[in-house]
Amino acid sequence: MHESTDLAALPRARQGWFARHRERIGDIGTALLLLAVVFPFLWLVQMSFRPNEDIFGYSIVFAPTFEHYRALWTGNFPGSFVNSVVVSLASTVLALLFGVPAAYTLARARFRRGRQIALWILATRMAPPIAFTIPFFLAYRYVGLLDTQIGLIIVYLTFNLALVIWMMQGFFEGVPTALEEAAWIDGCGVWEAFLRVSLPLSAPGLAATAVLCFILSWNDFFYALILTRTNASTAPVAIVNFIQYTGWEWGRIAAAATLVMLPVVVFSLLVRNYLVRGLTAGGTKE
Amino acid sequence: MSSRGWSAGRRRAFALGLAPALVVLAVVTIAPAGYLLLTSLTPLNLTMPGTAWDFSGPHYNYVDLWDDDRFHQSAWIQVKLSAATVTLQLLVGLGVALLLNHGNWLRRFARTIFLVPMVLPPIAVGILWRVMYTVDISPLHRFMAWIGLPVPPLTTDPSLALWAIVIADTWEWFPFTMLLVLAALQMIPDAPVEAAKIDGANDLQMFRYVLLPYIAPTLLVAALFRLIDSVKAFPLIYVLTNGGPGDATTVTNYYAFVQAFNFSLWGYSSAVATLMVVAIFALSWIIDRLSGTGDARVD
Repeated sequence: MHESTDLAALPRARQGWFARHRERIGDIGTALLLLAVVFPFLWLVQMSFRPNEDIFGYSIVFAPTFEHYRALWTGNFPGSFVNSVVVSLASTVLALLFGVPAAYTLARARFRRGRQIALWILATRMAPPIAFTIPFFLAYRYVGLLDTQIGLIIVYLTFNLALVIWMMQGFFEGVPTALEEAAWIDGCGVWEAFLRVSLPLSAPGLAATAVLCFILSWNDFFYALILTRTNASTAPVAIVNFIQYTGWEWGRIAAAATLVMLPVVVFSLLVRNYLVRGLTAGGTKE
Repeated sequence: MSSRGWSAGRRRAFALGLAPALVVLAVVTIAPAGYLLLTSLTPLNLTMPGTAWDFSGPHYNYVDLWDDDRFHQSAWIQVKLSAATVTLQLLVGLGVALLLNHGNWLRRFARTIFLVPMVLPPIAVGILWRVMYTVDISPLHRFMAWIGLPVPPLTTDPSLALWAIVIADTWEWFPFTMLLVLAALQMIPDAPVEAAKIDGANDLQMFRYVLLPYIAPTLLVAALFRLIDSVKAFPLIYVLTNGGPGDATTVTNYYAFVQAFNFSLWGYSSAVATLMVVAIFALSWIIDRLSGTGDARVD
């Protein structure tokens, strides 16, 4: 849509008050919405820097303190934070390792079962986590994977693998086949051509997929709540645990929540354009 | 050596790339699904030995569900929660997308910032809304009291607690609809829009007769996706209300969680989860019919 034929071309008298001021009204609406979206978020962040005596204070000017972050540093939180990083990274790497070749195959080779496989992957995205947690919990009890990092890494494959296949298939379909065919004619095998031609060309998509996998694993609360206790508990579960033990110590909770939010916000704003595609995966026709 | 042999070799190579992923996917999705179904046919209770593979009355759990008022109530609460969140998210998401579709730096900036709620860890969303809902510390409650419209505590009132969840969930997920609608709006060709402008269509007519027909399928898909995800709502309920007060916010998902992890009724909880899977697959099937996503992918 172009601005060139906008309503300003019409005689002013024919436009109502609203039409004449629509730009400004729209801007004010946008600003108010921005406030509504950002306010709860920023409020929590500023709470994490307030001294305990003034934790619910309203003055904008206050002496920021790191006492809540220091208190977190001495507790169990750093260990849980490390667990979150390890589990999210490992699950992302595994999902890419298995999922990327599969996505490439589905994008290039015609399989009779292709449609069923696509449906299966969609169904995995739809299934409620409770349906997976019950059997995983029972099975992990027997094999001793409860409260282990490996256990969580495996569970996160339930959603990460489907996501990688779904997203990367779309990216590979966007890579022209002519380049690969040229590589085949030059004597490259299928997977050699893939590594040398198609994969480098879909690098931005690969990065976006990896970031999204990481965010999904990082954000998980339900699986980690059920399948871990102390050793392998992730950061979101650690927050809930110390709420249960020490009550609602707002400063510390706000600090922990800020630390959990930080990587996700930074990441997602960095790869914003690619991320949009993954977040809406399956919802738009491409 | 014919090109046929070469092509067959290529197919084998491709199959080699696909097979490991399918095996892993089967192990982490189909095997648990089968296990869940089997467990739902037993009275499994981890505090009672011998209940693990007892198939003497495979239908008992489902018969019990039929008579379980708390289960029925949880399903009804789920319906209310889903209807309210999906409707609100659709309206807000659509409105915001129309507002931000084109414009100056402020609206482009807003488009980026509005991504934030849906990528935040749900537990963090729960905590920041817990702050907003706790009367003695909430800046919102204090502000409303200051302008003379004090708001009662939402999360501890049985008739309002569900609305507290709805508001927080809408805040978290309206960007999803917004993103889909923005993508759809950008696909609309210029010609009909220009033609409508020349014919003097006002904003409402433009929306109703030009834009809406183009974005209606997208809205439908957004609604169904959010509908399916609304069944998974857990962290918000866990942090804000813990299913209460009473059972006021105990949705089916939460009910299954409580039955298994608080009361150790694993068989029963598995039956609840199995029914949820069936319901969700029915919805997925509808999505597939309506959107043709599967077709678009494989063709």
